Amino acid sequence: MPVSISEQRLHEKRNTRSWILSAPVILWLVVFFLIPYLIIFLYSFLTTTIYDVQFRFSLDAFRQVFRPIYIKPFLLAFRLATITTLLCMIFGYPVAYYIARSSQKLKNFLLLLIIIPFWTNFVIRIFSWRVFLSANGVLNEVLLFLNLIDEPLRLLRTDLAVILVTVYVYLPYMIFPLYSAIEKMDFTLLDAARDLGANEVTSFFKITLPLSREGIIAGIILVFIPALGTYIIPHLVGHQNALYIGQIITYKIKNIPRNWPLASALSLVLLIVVSLILFFLTRRYSRERKAS
Amino acid sequence: MKQPKNFYKGMNLTLFTFAMIFLYIPIVIMIVYSFNDSKIVAGWKGFTFKYYIDLLHNENIRLAFRNTMLIAILSTVISTVLGTLGALALENLRFRGRRLLNILVFVPLIMPDILMGVSMAMFYSFLRVKTGMFTVLIAHVTFCLSYAVIVIRSRLEGFDSSLLEASMDLGANPWQTFFKIKLPLMMPGIIAAALLAFTLSIDDFIITFFTTGRGFNTLPIYVEGGIRRGTITTINALSSLMITATIMIVFLSRRFHKVILKHL
Repeated sequence: MPVSISEQRLHEKRNTRSWILSAPVILWLVVFFLIPYLIIFLYSFLTTTIYDVQFRFSLDAFRQVFRPIYIKPFLLAFRLATITTLLCMIFGYPVAYYIARSSQKLKNFLLLLIIIPFWTNFVIRIFSWRVFLSANGVLNEVLLFLNLIDEPLRLLRTDLAVILVTVYVYLPYMIFPLYSAIEKMDFTLLDAARDLGANEVTSFFKITLPLSREGIIAGIILVFIPALGTYIIPHLVGHQNALYIGQIITYKIKNIPRNWPLASALSLVLLIVVSLILFFLTRRYSRERKAS
Repeated sequence: MKQPKNFYKGMNLTLFTFAMIFLYIPIVIMIVYSFNDSKIVAGWKGFTFKYYIDLLHNENIRLAFRNTMLIAILSTVISTVLGTLGALALENLRFRGRRLLNILVFVPLIMPDILMGVSMAMFYSFLRVKTGMFTVLIAHVTFCLSYAVIVIRSRLEGFDSSLLEASMDLGANPWQTFFKIKLPLMMPGIIAAALLAFTLSIDDFIITFFTTGRGFNTLPIYVEGGIRRGTITTINALSSLMITATIMIVFLSRRFHKVILKHL
């Protein structure tokens, strides 16, 4: 169909209008999002003083990045993110499924139950676990009272506490995308499968799970990536001798002696790891979508 | 095969109940202990309101509360207005900047918060800017903006443009059509975006931590400091109040949750 001159002019006009409308957003994000990231890149090639950076080229930061004391925090964070994502999936899936299959009225109420802790302040949710887990905290008191233990357990400042609290904080981020994926599913498929002789387990693995893939991937992205960069959770409930990468980066920026080039180089590594994970997760997904 | 079906249903309900207990138990315990008449977190020593009364007299908490609200309101207004403009631009499918805008909006959403915090801290230090209210505000607008664009844009998808044509046919000018027809129809999306931006701003610890300067505290920053200083009881009471406020906001705004959740 030939495009008339007037139609072309209309498109031009609309295009210009869209540029004007989006100019503030584009400008804002270029100045306050893109340029700061470029500064991380720039700083990673500079020399450190204990308070600030010196504008002298150096590869020191990158030489340090691969030392074991900085590799270990990465591995710890990676382990935490993996365990957290798995646990969130195992606990989140039945919850999301249960909500998605409830009646409309019950559904809204159940969603509200998940939304309340989700909207409760992040720091407060972590703090509430300190009240619960501390040496003279509630859990220890209950266990002592029931004579299950003789002296308070060390629950706070352990790896277990970090995992528990991370699962707690990010569980809703797994439930919501799983819920919206399962809710869109055509449940008559399950009846058909049963009529054709499939049992519950088979139809779950052959129908429900593949059809909720989109939600699973979104859930993994929403849980794994923030868990990888977490600072405040291990800072408040973790062991002082097991530092996670988020803590290392933060301490190198906030605490004296500072080392901003090193913090920048570590941030770049984190950025690359996150980008690779996102690339693999979404590439597989988009290829499959294209194929189907 | 009736038996297994009920079995799985029962299992789901059990797991759901466990998940709810898991989600609520620390919060409930914290609220209960905020009334405990004891300086440390220990056994029940009697009921008291005194930590709530302490809160009212605490100048630092009042200041932190004021700062939190100020930042949340300003960043909500700025990000929602800019987000509306951005969403309107994305509505035009032939817009040649669409790809650029989509990438710029989407990438900040999926990067760990700590990277945005680090990058902004370095950005401000590079520019030798004194950190405080304005640096925090800019950071908050930046992370709220992406959510605002995405939530408002989703509302514009499947927009019935015949209403706009009808309005124009009936003699309204483009501005009248926009303000009388289009904007009201966009409102649920805009309100949902504002609500999300407001909550995200109040909730944020890490980005504020990296972009604030001495003397400018928000509530999450104050709470974290309080935990380290060991003033647990006041923090308990403060946290319980904040949770109550959250529950109230969630109830009052439940109409808009669907719009938000769909695009999380």
